[in-house]
Amino acid sequence: MRVLLVDDEVDLASALAERLDLRGIKADWVTTAHAALDKAEAVDYDLAILDVKMPKIGGLELRQRLHERHPRMKFIFVTGYGSEMDFNKVKCQEGETCYMVKPVDIEDLLKRMKDLLGQSGGDQ
Amino acid sequence: MTITTELTGWTGLQFFGRTTASVSHDLKNALAIIKENAGLLNDYLLMAEKGTPFKPERLKIVADRIDQQTRRADTLIKFLNRFGHSIDEPLATVDLNEAVSLLAALTQREVAMKQATLQLSMGESPMTVKTAPFWLLTFLGHCMTFSLKALGPDKILRLQVEKVKEGARILFSPLSGLQGAEKGGFPGDAEIALLNSLNAACHIDPDAAMLIVNLSNR
Repeated sequence: MRVLLVDDEVDLASALAERLDLRGIKADWVTTAHAALDKAEAVDYDLAILDVKMPKIGGLELRQRLHERHPRMKFIFVTGYGSEMDFNKVKCQEGETCYMVKPVDIEDLLKRMKDLLGQSGGDQ
Repeated sequence: MTITTELTGWTGLQFFGRTTASVSHDLKNALAIIKENAGLLNDYLLMAEKGTPFKPERLKIVADRIDQQTRRADTLIKFLNRFGHSIDEPLATVDLNEAVSLLAALTQREVAMKQATLQLSMGESPMTVKTAPFWLLTFLGHCMTFSLKALGPDKILRLQVEKVKEGARILFSPLSGLQGAEKGGFPGDAEIALLNSLNAACHIDPDAAMLIVNLSNR
C-alpha cells in the first residue's frame, strides 16, 4: 500500500506518515496541493489522505484533480471541523472516498484505509 | 449611541460565529498534532519494549512538537477568551494596540489561507479610545477581510496604529489591488451601520493604497 498525505500542518503530516511507516505502510507527505499533484505524477499511490482546508487549493479541489489524473486512487478526507458540515460538501462516492474528523485515531484510520482498498488486516 | 439595529446585530453575530469557527479549527489542528505525536511516542515505547532500535533523538523532536502545540493551543484559547469577554461592556476604554493584536491573532487563519503576511506597527502605548470593544473588533474584522482581498502580489498587509488629534486611526496597507476590490463596495451597508454605532469613520485612499479607520473618543 502506498499512501500520500497532504496537510498544511507539517507536524501533523510528518507524524502521521511516520506512524503509518511504522505499521508497514509506505507513506509520503507534502503540505500543499501543488506538491501533491507533482508527487502523484512521480509515484503510483493507492490512496491519498487529504486535509480539507488548505491555502490556495483545498482538499476538495485537489481530490478532483487527482481523480482526473489517477482514477484508481482512493481518498480519505480529514477535517478540523467539529461538526459534520464539511461531510455534506463532498459527493462521497461509495468505495472511493471517506471522511474523518481531526484528531483521527490511527486504528480507525487504518481500518478506513483497508476498507477503501479492500484489504484484510495482514496484507499491507 | 446604542447598537440596536438588526443589521448590526446580525453582522456581529456572523463575525462572532466566523471567528470562533476559525479559531476552533486551529485548535482542532493543534490537538490533532498533539494526539499524533503522543501516539508516536507510544509507538517508540512499544518499539523499545520489543527491542526494535530507534533513534533516541527522535524523542526530543516529538516532545518539542507536543510542547509547541500545547503553547499554540493555550494562546488560541487565551485570545478566544479575550474575544468572548469583548462583549461584556457595551462601552469601555480600549487600548487600540491590544485590539489590533487581538484582531491579528483571531484572523491568523484567514491570513494564512490567503498566504499573506501580517505586519503590525503599533503606536505609543497605551493608545486608548472609549468605544464598544466587540463592535470595534467586528468592524476591524471586516476591514481585514476587505484588505486581504485587495493585497498586492507580495501579499503583505501592514496594520498601523497612529494617534491623531481627537483620537486614533488604524491604517490597512498596502492595498495595491484596491481598484479591483473597490468594485466590491466598501464600506457596505453592514460596515456603515457599524461605523455609525462606533462613532467612527473610514475612507479608502487609492493613491496611498490604504484603508484608513478613524476612531474618536466618544
